[in-house]
Amino acid sequence: MLFQQNKDKQMQRRDFFKQLGAVAAVAAITPAISFADEAKKLTGPNEFSYKAAVDAITGGKGAEESSKINLKVPEIAENGAVVPITVEVESPMTDNDYVKSIHILATKNANTRCIDVHLTPANGKAMFATRIKLGGTQDVATVVALSDGTFLTATQNVKVTIGGCG
Amino acid sequence: MSSRKSLIKIKPKSYKDGEIVKVSFMVMHPMETGMRKDKKTKEVIPAKYINSVKFDYNGKVITTMNVWESLSTNPVFTTYMKVNGAGKLSVTFSDSTGEVHEKSIKIKPKG
Repeated sequence: MLFQQNKDKQMQRRDFFKQLGAVAAVAAITPAISFADEAKKLTGPNEFSYKAAVDAITGGKGAEESSKINLKVPEIAENGAVVPITVEVESPMTDNDYVKSIHILATKNANTRCIDVHLTPANGKAMFATRIKLGGTQDVATVVALSDGTFLTATQNVKVTIGGCG
Repeated sequence: MSSRKSLIKIKPKSYKDGEIVKVSFMVMHPMETGMRKDKKTKEVIPAKYINSVKFDYNGKVITTMNVWESLSTNPVFTTYMKVNGAGKLSVTFSDSTGEVHEKSIKIKPKG
């Protein structure tokens, strides 16, 4: 019985130190700004999930993977608050054949949808660039709507190192 | 109309009529998600983010955007534009609290 009690005490002590360690670890990596808090929230259950977003954009049709899309986003993002992203699509951008819209989706953010860009032939080239916030490592996707009613897509995984010591 | 610091950049600075140039619009804006808590008061910082952007060129809308809170603070919006005569390029945005801001520049093709 004593042995069991000792074992329980050991387990309790171990758990206590585990928890202390976890808190210390979080405290060590949480930067002065509350981005870490924001980041945790951003990787919660999706308010607007990836599948729902793609359905909403494509009217349920879905999008086809295409090499016509050049999705540029870093494989490793040092700062999840400012991740540069560029989407370029091969297109003549004429009245009869142009990219109608470029959509950017962060598949694991609390809100998957980042931006919809509605282009016109007056843009001359199908391209859009911005910087987005990523709550954590995830796939970043783009869905592109063409004037002929079809939808293309491309995705890339981005590893996000939040805070950290280097 | 708000007086936020914003900037429209055209690349290259010197361009001819018919050329396709890069256009960037940058603005100082918090893009507050509404998911952060003030460390001192523990209260949620209310959401305030740009949700709509429009590019007008000589009175014609050439690009519109629906924007959500996942865009970085002090956002930048870059695309291309075909130069089609001298005139004005205006960028207007509105945000989730109803703030509206407009910035314009002159388009002056050389030759």
